[in-house]
Amino acid sequence: MIETINFKLNDKPTRLNVDGERMLLWALRSELSLTGTKFGCGEGFCGSCTVLVNKEAVRSCQFPVKDVKGKDVITIEGLAKNGNLHPLQKAFIKHDALQCGFCTPGMILNAYSVLLKNPQPSHKDILQNMDENLCRCGAHTRIVQAIKTAAKEMIGGEKR
Amino acid sequence: MRKKEYFADSEEASLLYREEFRDMKTEEPEVAPSPEKDKFEIIGKSTSRIDGEKIVTGRAPYTHDIKLRGMLYGKILRSPHACAEVISMDISQVQSLPGVKAAIQLKKGRVTYAGEQVAAVAAVDEKTAEQALKLIKVEYKSLPFAVTEEKAMEEGAPQVRKRPNVQKFNEYTRGNIDKGFKEADFVLENTYKTAVEIHHPAETHGSVAKWEGERLTVWDSTQAIFGVRDGLARALKIPASRIKVIKHYMGGGFGSKLGINDYTVAAAMLAKQANKPVKIILSRRENSLCVGNRPSSLQTIKGGVKKDGTLTALYLKNYTSGGIGRGDYCSEPVVDLYKCPNVQVEEHSVFTNTGASRPTRAPGHVQGTFALEGFLEELANKINLDPLELRKKNYSTKNQGDKETPYSSKGLNKCYQLGAEKIGWKRRNKRPGEGNGKVRRGLGVASQIWWGVGRAGTQADVKLHPDGSVEAICGTQDIGCGTRTYMATITAETLGLRPKDVTVKIGNTEYPWCGGSGGSTTTPSVAPAIRDAALKAADYLKKMAAEKLKAKPDEINITKGKFSNKNDPVQSIGYKKLIEELRKERKFRREKVFHGEYVGRPSGFAYNTFGAHFAEVEVDVETGKVKVLKVVGVHEIGRLINKITAESQIIGGITQGVSTALFEERIMDNTTGNVANPNFRDYKIATSLDIPEITPLIVDTVDPRINNLGAKGLGEPPRIPPAGAIANAVYNAIGVHVREIPMTPDKVLQALKRKEVD
Amino acid sequence: MTNFKIAEPQTIDQVTSLTIDKKDKYKLMAGGTDLLAEIKDEIIEPEVVVDLKSIPDLSYIKKEKNGVRIGALTSLARLAEDTLIKNEYPALHEAANSVASPQLRNMGTAGGNLCQRPRCWYYRDPQVKCRKKGGGRCFAFRGKNKYHAILGGGLCYIVHPSDLAPALIALDAEISINSPKGNTTIPLTNFYTLPKINVRKENILAPNEVLREIKIPLIKKEEKSTYSKFIERGTWDFAIVSAAVKGTVSGGIFRDITIVLGGVAPVPWRLTKAENIIKGKKITEDLVRKATREALKEAKPLEENGYKKELAEIVLYRAVLSLL
Repeated sequence: MIETINFKLNDKPTRLNVDGERMLLWALRSELSLTGTKFGCGEGFCGSCTVLVNKEAVRSCQFPVKDVKGKDVITIEGLAKNGNLHPLQKAFIKHDALQCGFCTPGMILNAYSVLLKNPQPSHKDILQNMDENLCRCGAHTRIVQAIKTAAKEMIGGEKR
Repeated sequence: MRKKEYFADSEEASLLYREEFRDMKTEEPEVAPSPEKDKFEIIGKSTSRIDGEKIVTGRAPYTHDIKLRGMLYGKILRSPHACAEVISMDISQVQSLPGVKAAIQLKKGRVTYAGEQVAAVAAVDEKTAEQALKLIKVEYKSLPFAVTEEKAMEEGAPQVRKRPNVQKFNEYTRGNIDKGFKEADFVLENTYKTAVEIHHPAETHGSVAKWEGERLTVWDSTQAIFGVRDGLARALKIPASRIKVIKHYMGGGFGSKLGINDYTVAAAMLAKQANKPVKIILSRRENSLCVGNRPSSLQTIKGGVKKDGTLTALYLKNYTSGGIGRGDYCSEPVVDLYKCPNVQVEEHSVFTNTGASRPTRAPGHVQGTFALEGFLEELANKINLDPLELRKKNYSTKNQGDKETPYSSKGLNKCYQLGAEKIGWKRRNKRPGEGNGKVRRGLGVASQIWWGVGRAGTQADVKLHPDGSVEAICGTQDIGCGTRTYMATITAETLGLRPKDVTVKIGNTEYPWCGGSGGSTTTPSVAPAIRDAALKAADYLKKMAAEKLKAKPDEINITKGKFSNKNDPVQSIGYKKLIEELRKERKFRREKVFHGEYVGRPSGFAYNTFGAHFAEVEVDVETGKVKVLKVVGVHEIGRLINKITAESQIIGGITQGVSTALFEERIMDNTTGNVANPNFRDYKIATSLDIPEITPLIVDTVDPRINNLGAKGLGEPPRIPPAGAIANAVYNAIGVHVREIPMTPDKVLQALKRKEVD
Repeated sequence: MTNFKIAEPQTIDQVTSLTIDKKDKYKLMAGGTDLLAEIKDEIIEPEVVVDLKSIPDLSYIKKEKNGVRIGALTSLARLAEDTLIKNEYPALHEAANSVASPQLRNMGTAGGNLCQRPRCWYYRDPQVKCRKKGGGRCFAFRGKNKYHAILGGGLCYIVHPSDLAPALIALDAEISINSPKGNTTIPLTNFYTLPKINVRKENILAPNEVLREIKIPLIKKEEKSTYSKFIERGTWDFAIVSAAVKGTVSGGIFRDITIVLGGVAPVPWRLTKAENIIKGKKITEDLVRKATREALKEAKPLEENGYKKELAEIVLYRAVLSLL
């Protein structure tokens, strides 16, 4: 059913006329041309499509777009502010926490949700929370380092 | 004549791969390169990816992200039968569905695996295309099939191809194997088994095709843009000159994206019919069925050794299955890795009704090394020798499989030394399984040999603009290894600039020619070509600077954006100033292109890469669960180009290796003929909680003659030893070798029972 | 994927009336983590998906004088984080924490977890019509069955995938069901049914009924509980074998004990025989292992899943000993 959906996307009020049953991933990628959110499996297993809805990380391939009504959605395109990279983005580059880079947006957003809830996570906290995102090139150990670095930089708020 | 049109899906993929990436003959270079004398400031240190910002902000365009005006979405109908005759097909109903713009039949006659493409449609959106597939009526006559090796090898099993299911494809002999066994003090024979793996790159396979009159542009998620171009030209019977293939960013390939794909051809055909661009993106399920896999292996090794550890004989018999394609050459480690006078090999392919294999990061070597290194571990135990000593004892300075040719460089001994120190090799159990308790620890080692040379004929340009800006251009592709970044660092290093001063252009067949990114060939091909071009540009600038400084060109030094006189360093001119003056003097008014090429390496030497991995594991002997605690991966790859990205490749290789050792297995069902686990729920891949502490180390060497940088490749090497090292560590922990990967709890428990019987 | 509409009822009663109209062509959705995957793979093809999330007040954890009540739409994450549950019902806390991954726990619900469909790869293969999907055979019986049932099979060899169910059954939980005929409350253990009762279903829920609430009795003095789950990898996974144990224990002796295994049968599997052997005796590793072996004598492993029997023994003795 085509419906009008009003929500906030990367801090901007956004209106979409779409089939409410369409998954958020495809609405973002097609209707809104935000292709930073990736399709990896479409079954909620790989985490490439992770975005934040009201600060919670969700799998956008399993999230009907009707459920973002009135909510706050953040995608990878909305993480850098005023042209300044987010500490997580900087740390991912610094530690080379990626190879092909396809899983990276989902990794960063999942990490972001982890840090929002727990600004100083332990090594184990990071492993357990990042565990659900797949990186086929195998950058996990460096992703964990990057998150630790970003967490340090974010002490006292997100300096950007 | 071999059918080369569908390289990626060819029965011969493993053979073609060796021809393309291993047996690369080169011409004798006119001047032998001598890279050892060069000292660098940027090369060899860590430079962050120059495209890092694009990737972490989601702006890097992958093939999935290509969206063109009026673009249609294509979907493929695939055979639900593992073997069937297509009796009839009716695609006429499809056009009645609003939004459907094209439909083609792709298959007549026999389908030989579940997932083989039979028809395709293109529609205004994906949902309509999916609905359209349901309107295609196909009548199949289903036929008996064999989807597992065991079944295919049974007498009277359904024949997969037009010849017997078991085909010998490789034989090798040196010395006299029987003599070798006679000379041995101990002879041992064991069988090792490895499962079929699926590549599963993060970005599923896909293409976008667009016609403009007779010209075709294809955006493809590929490791080989020129391979796709040439394959398309043959499949569509049009000149290669009319095709352009583009790949900006790609979400992993690992060998499954090395050639032309049938769905890319389908996209081009649909686009032609609809007269609109068509995009086809495969699903994760399709990725499990029809775009390649790593062949399984069943390897029996029989070997002889003297009491002092000298190998006298190695015999390998391998049954390997790559579905309707050929299995992998798994024998190279047995033939080349250690010194052994008497070696005999026979390898057989077993055809099954499953998708064709494709090269999978270090094809054959992952399986072969797991078997050989496991065998050596058990052999060392037999003669009570430290397994590392056994390996050192049989150290080879010549490539015996390649007519006893001496290695141009080999740093494996250094790898052993660094790795053993780092892991604390002395901590290992002196007798395998000597520990007590329910959770036991162990250490293991495995070594590796791989190819890793460059492809002669690789071309690259360095372009200087009169405004001082610089481009580095090559028709290569960055598959995640940092190609863009080292093209910038090499150009910058050579011209005395900073990497960020260089604009890198790759991923387009309109750029200078380069081969596919596979077989660890990209760096040793592209790096020397770009270095060659940059050196020519530097020569031009030196000449110009020499005129200004009233010196000879060879007296000019380039460092940090400055040209100075070696004999009188006060005499200098900055890069920017030099360019500006040349422009004002009207000497440099148009862009200048310097063309570089990698021409080859001297013959008479074997060029290989080496490495050794050390693993520490913990095994719960009651549940059979293995936890990998540490892996140290040490590699000798000639000159190191970029430390941070090279380490990333080692870390990635080990991570994938842990996954291979413990989890990954495509499971086929003999009743349905289907893949039982075509998704990430049931096809299990290691993620953060499974990954050990990883230490990447690189032996600092420069190959004296392979190319102008002395650099070898690193793509496959770190993927090779982890499974062997981990299995050997498990052996060291529990006193019995599992001899089969993945080492899931049920298999470890089974092995422990074998120990009780022993 | 087929086209479907999402209905958003405002009350439970609307659900029953909505669904009565539509007969078999609708499905109830809680968190959607499992259902949407089933629809995508065309294992089920509903016309209407009834989104229970739109009903207010179905998400709660309340302590009352008779015990704790948990709304069916309570998210697994909330269940896993709740202090009361953590302190008084560790088995449920551990079970909730062991389900999938943090993101999926945010979306998944308690009721959804109890009602999820099997993970059997034949059931999940859109091209296979097995008995559970109205076909004529169980492909696992002679097929690839390393993850399948060693107990309670026959007709169909799925294992029930729920982590909460064994824990809640061990904790003597009841569930409330809303149905057009009125509301009923039954012990959770009676909710699940073996394939021989109805091979197409795993529980007694009729199409027009909704699981509304879970009730757990107050804990007794010296009551302890735990849920232990064995998976193949570190990463989230479904249980190969899991064990929920609850009992009152002092001085190394269980006065009473309840043992429920997960991952071994089409329903959560109570090990009464083992309970009787263990009860009242000084707990040792040997005793528990012997009791498990005795209780699992009735197991009938298929070709590839015999190791589950060995694992059950290990998982269980470790769980029981951890409560001492």
